Amino acid sequence: MSAAEKGQTVKERARDALGNDFLRSAVRFTTERLRLGKKLAAEEHGNWDDWRERGRQIRLHTIAHLDYYLNEFAENARANGAHVHFADTAEEAVAISLEIAKHASAKSVVKSKSMVSEELHLNQALDSIGVEAIETDLGEYIIQLANETPSHIIIPAIHKNRHQIAGLLSREAGEDLPADTAVLAGFVRTKLREKFLAADIGMTGCNFAIAETGSMVLFENEGNARMVTTVPKTQITLMGMERIIPSWSDLEVMATLLPRSATGQKLTVYMSGITGPRREQDADGPDQMHIIIIDNGRSLQLGDPEFQELLNCIRCGACLNACPVYRHIGGHAYGGTYSGPIGAVLTPALKKNVAEWDDIANASSLCGACYEACPVKIPLHDMLVYLRRRKVEAGRGNKAETLGMKGFSVVMGNAKRYRNVVRLGKLGQKLVVRNGEIRARIGPLKGWNTYRVTPELPKDSFRDRWSKVEQELYSESAPMNPEVADRLSKLMDQRKNGGHGQ
Amino acid sequence: MTNPVQPDEWLKRLEARSRAKQETFMDGIAAKLGRERVRTRPKHPFRGAPDFWKEFQLPIEDRIRQFTANFEAAGGHVVRVKNRAEASTFIVDKASEMSAGSILINDEVELSTLNLASSLPDAIVRSWNEDQDENWRAVASRSDIGIVMADYAAAYTGSLVVTSSPAKGRSVSLLPTVLMAIVPVDRMVTRLGEILVRFDEAGREQLPAGIHFISGPSRSADIENDLTIGVHGPGIVFAILVDDDSDA
Ligand code: SF4
Repeated sequence: MSAAEKGQTVKERARDALGNDFLRSAVRFTTERLRLGKKLAAEEHGNWDDWRERGRQIRLHTIAHLDYYLNEFAENARANGAHVHFADTAEEAVAISLEIAKHASAKSVVKSKSMVSEELHLNQALDSIGVEAIETDLGEYIIQLANETPSHIIIPAIHKNRHQIAGLLSREAGEDLPADTAVLAGFVRTKLREKFLAADIGMTGCNFAIAETGSMVLFENEGNARMVTTVPKTQITLMGMERIIPSWSDLEVMATLLPRSATGQKLTVYMSGITGPRREQDADGPDQMHIIIIDNGRSLQLGDPEFQELLNCIRCGACLNACPVYRHIGGHAYGGTYSGPIGAVLTPALKKNVAEWDDIANASSLCGACYEACPVKIPLHDMLVYLRRRKVEAGRGNKAETLGMKGFSVVMGNAKRYRNVVRLGKLGQKLVVRNGEIRARIGPLKGWNTYRVTPELPKDSFRDRWSKVEQELYSESAPMNPEVADRLSKLMDQRKNGGHGQ
Repeated sequence: MTNPVQPDEWLKRLEARSRAKQETFMDGIAAKLGRERVRTRPKHPFRGAPDFWKEFQLPIEDRIRQFTANFEAAGGHVVRVKNRAEASTFIVDKASEMSAGSILINDEVELSTLNLASSLPDAIVRSWNEDQDENWRAVASRSDIGIVMADYAAAYTGSLVVTSSPAKGRSVSLLPTVLMAIVPVDRMVTRLGEILVRFDEAGREQLPAGIHFISGPSRSADIENDLTIGVHGPGIVFAILVDDDSDA
């Protein structure tokens, strides 16, 4: 159960997170590393904006014709011998998964990281019918042992230090393991090998699904997604209905954008295209393959001019690493499955539940860094403003904020779809800025201000602002743990030499 | 080896349910998009990489240099040999140096002509799927070294490509501790796209079940951001580039 569901507000969760020094420096270190890795990789590759634009066009085109491409994918996947299922809701997807598990008389399921499966709370459901669900990404495995939820899309266990990890693994091993990375990794390899070979079902998400051939594509560094799709007899792929791209040729664009944006790598160590279950004479691969195509709130975005582009998201995490707010409070503060700027918009959008999530959109400084970072150019900062407006329209905002929002709606009335959110942000700010800082509890930055003085939104455009944000990030107040700083600089050197991230 | 499970009654029921649901699912999407269902292939004006990129080609020596730089930067090893005999010598030397007890090779002609079994009398050398009753996944998991032919390689990303077939196990490049991949240099292209487009051209029915791009050793980075190698897949990976891969 996520923190949000325990009834904590974003503010409370952020306060918890801010109180944890290790978490703060780990998040800062990791996001910084990934953000710089991405920047270097994009620069090295060159023509980055042309690639982003191409990525955006492919995603826009696919979503605009989603009924055609999804249907084509389903037909081709069936022709390959896979069993395709459709689920409108999380509950339906869970029910289908459990039905498959029961028919396979499954005792255990090995999983590779999948945001969708977290959306579904599938592990708990499997547990309820006596099926053990084992997360096999190293980071996911660690936080599963700790009984926690991930704090970062790409690096879920950044909030755990090696001593905590050694403690968790020692409990699992039944003996004391030293806090030494090589020893811990070796233990996990042996332990998880047993689990892979014994598991009845392998379960993965799906980065992209190729309509023309019914193939599904997975990007990963560890190899556990390959294990999950190679070793067990039954395989289940959980797939958001929007994961489609038309062709393998289009995959080149996604393969160019996704790894560079996520970790600064030219390509993840493994990129696998799986087309159906094993062929009859093959000696490995699953006998039976199920693909569950899941809506769970995604279709609410279709036809909504303000939010449809959310479906273009390729889940790279670049917007998290770019976001000054995320860098301060970490993933757990957002409460949902998805954190950072994408989570702030996607979580309420998927749930269509403004009431439960009304404070999450305020955990953003509207600086536009998320848009600049996004490899498919999703205007997240615009969406955050739309979300706030909808919240006020729904009567969820307080009075002061409603006043602030008046400025927004006047402009909205004049220019149907406003592009420059920073300009609008400034409207709401005029009254409350003193000495270049925002201190009053008013306007869209309310909430956030109560525990941190936020720099004034700039009078210049957010493109100009972007370079300032970069400077700001370098001069940020909290000092970095010297050990962490040391590792960072070593990694930076490595990257300079090779260009491969993480 | 067991045959794939024949669709039983339950699967037939699931399929009927799925087909019915598929229609409402797609109708729902079209309705949300505010139009009729699209039933013919839409024109896709942005297919694939930007045009300037599709023309990008490196000469072979540059490809080899770039592949080597990228693969090594990712933590892999690259050696270049003249012919298959030299490749065999390299493998035999490495296997002895690492005291490999068990070696699993894909069942390909190029690999069988390496004569590894006779050159490494102390090691158990087995060919993938040579015996239908064996549990080959478990064999691969116990093997010290897996040896494969790469179907393709891409220089720009430093990637090998292996595809599956009855003779070519997905496990061979995944489960052993060490992976050695032989790459005839004429299989090396500049860009990923040159390889990907072949899968479009081949079409659905020709595709193997598994297509795997491999760009270095298996890596995890989750213990205080400290890089951990080989938690799942091979921690040591060799790309053996062969200039002349003819039989002689
Ligand atoms: S919104 Fe953009 S930057 Fe953020 S995760 Fe999605 S694709 Fe990546």
